[in-house]
Amino acid sequence: MASTLRLYLTCIRNTLEAALCLQNFPCQEVERHNKPEVELKTSPELLLNPILICRNESEKCLIETSINSLRISLKVKQADELENILTKKFLRFLSMRAEAFQVLRRKPIQGYDISFLITNYHCEEMQKQKLIDFIVQFMEDIDKEISELKMSVNTRGRLVATEFLKQFI
Amino acid sequence: MAAVAVHQFAPCITCHAWSPDHSMIALCPNNNEVHIYRSSQDKWERVHVLQKHDQIVSGIDWSPRSNRIVTASHDRNSMHCFLSRYVWNREGPEWVPTLVILRLNRAALCVQWSPRENKFAVGSGAKTVCICYYEQDNNWWVSKLIRKRHDSSVTSVAWHPNNILLATTSTDGKCRVFSTFIKGVDTRDSKAGSSSDSKFGEQIIQLDLSFSWAFGVKWSPSGNTLAYVGHNSMIYFVDDVGPSPLAQNVAFRDLPLRDVLFVSEKMVIGVGFDCNPMVFGADERGIWSFVRFLGERKSSFSGSKYGSQFSEAFGKFYGQSKTGVSNDGIDPSRSRGGIHENCINCIVSLGEEGSSRTLRFSTSGLDGRVVIWALENQEDLSEYL
Repeated sequence: MASTLRLYLTCIRNTLEAALCLQNFPCQEVERHNKPEVELKTSPELLLNPILICRNESEKCLIETSINSLRISLKVKQADELENILTKKFLRFLSMRAEAFQVLRRKPIQGYDISFLITNYHCEEMQKQKLIDFIVQFMEDIDKEISELKMSVNTRGRLVATEFLKQFI
Repeated sequence: MAAVAVHQFAPCITCHAWSPDHSMIALCPNNNEVHIYRSSQDKWERVHVLQKHDQIVSGIDWSPRSNRIVTASHDRNSMHCFLSRYVWNREGPEWVPTLVILRLNRAALCVQWSPRENKFAVGSGAKTVCICYYEQDNNWWVSKLIRKRHDSSVTSVAWHPNNILLATTSTDGKCRVFSTFIKGVDTRDSKAGSSSDSKFGEQIIQLDLSFSWAFGVKWSPSGNTLAYVGHNSMIYFVDDVGPSPLAQNVAFRDLPLRDVLFVSEKMVIGVGFDCNPMVFGADERGIWSFVRFLGERKSSFSGSKYGSQFSEAFGKFYGQSKTGVSNDGIDPSRSRGGIHENCINCIVSLGEEGSSRTLRFSTSGLDGRVVIWALENQEDLSEYL
């Protein structure tokens, strides 16, 4: 179990190391503008092939690269309805505060739970290795967080039910 | 160690150029200014700041003989609605800018003086290359465009030593060689075979070797060989550029390069996302290959990665429990290079003008450092020099 997670994360890490070769590139379509090409997709020659890394049917990671920006979209494992709701709420909470994270995207790509957008400016300000470490650490922590949330919801539910039903004993 | 000196100038450097006597360096600290530093007794002091551009300066070149600086930027001239760039002339202690109207409608990405310094070439995001020359009668720099030849932005330009041929690389993956003969500026050499009967803007050859973006084109000192890099971690060498060129591809394991420099006829230094210069050399038969990295590399952690999987398997075998995400589950990132901490994007020769061998060169990168490298003490590379 742990080994597939490690392989998955190693694969993502190696892909990110190769894909995070970004450089400053002014927009070809509009003068004086500098836009992340992966979001606009106006010039197909500036985009690289997207890579989809799947751990199983429910967990995958899509990495799309262009000359000055990179977009990583993650789909987190959701085993049942409760995890579904918890994941959605938790990741929405994070995405709404995307400015604090700088590399987070406010809305995930269709079909995924959360997305990151890394531009060449991030690579200039921050070290590439630390960015990759952050993304991989994030992926590991998400799973832990969701399990903890689920456990706490179940525990609370049990406690509340016990208390409520005590009056009928 | 091959690195002789390391200087930290700014948080991030886009490009740099040296003065003819190598005492001053002009660099762009990732904004719209050009800072000129002079070295005096081991310290660098900022002597000038050239502030005429509105957006980031993408290319600087300092002509060795006439002591002029040309800068190109992503901006646009607000008065005439054209893209601009400046030629700076040293008059007294100050640098005086001359605006050059380029007639480009997108950013200028790279600039280089021609070997005889009567022309310079600019590559732009408008998919054109602009050649500018000085018109004596009007006291003005005039530009001529090479249009409709490139399918995408022109990332790098390089002049052939004969002052007429220009090689360009573009994000459509192709490298093209054009003739830039301009009447009145260039003289027709009767002995120059292929370039003598070509008009301005004529494409001599188009090299379609890379299926990814191409950067960093340079000619060898004699003009016989052309080298450029592709984003697919390959470097391409083309001999005998002309009707029947001889191309070689060298693929390497590491991250792509951004720029190259010929230090002699048989040795090329490439710099890029690995933060460490790579040496490529040609043997007696003319076959190019990767020799080694120039700087020291911090030892990669790939050994411990295998070690931890092995030890985990051993642990399971002997019934030890390991938590799902152990400490070595987060593999420490492989640190690259030692001297530059971020991508190197510019390499400039520090050799004497006109010599075919360069023993020193400087690199600048996104970490804001300029590092000077010397090849005199590297014995294993002396066979290539």
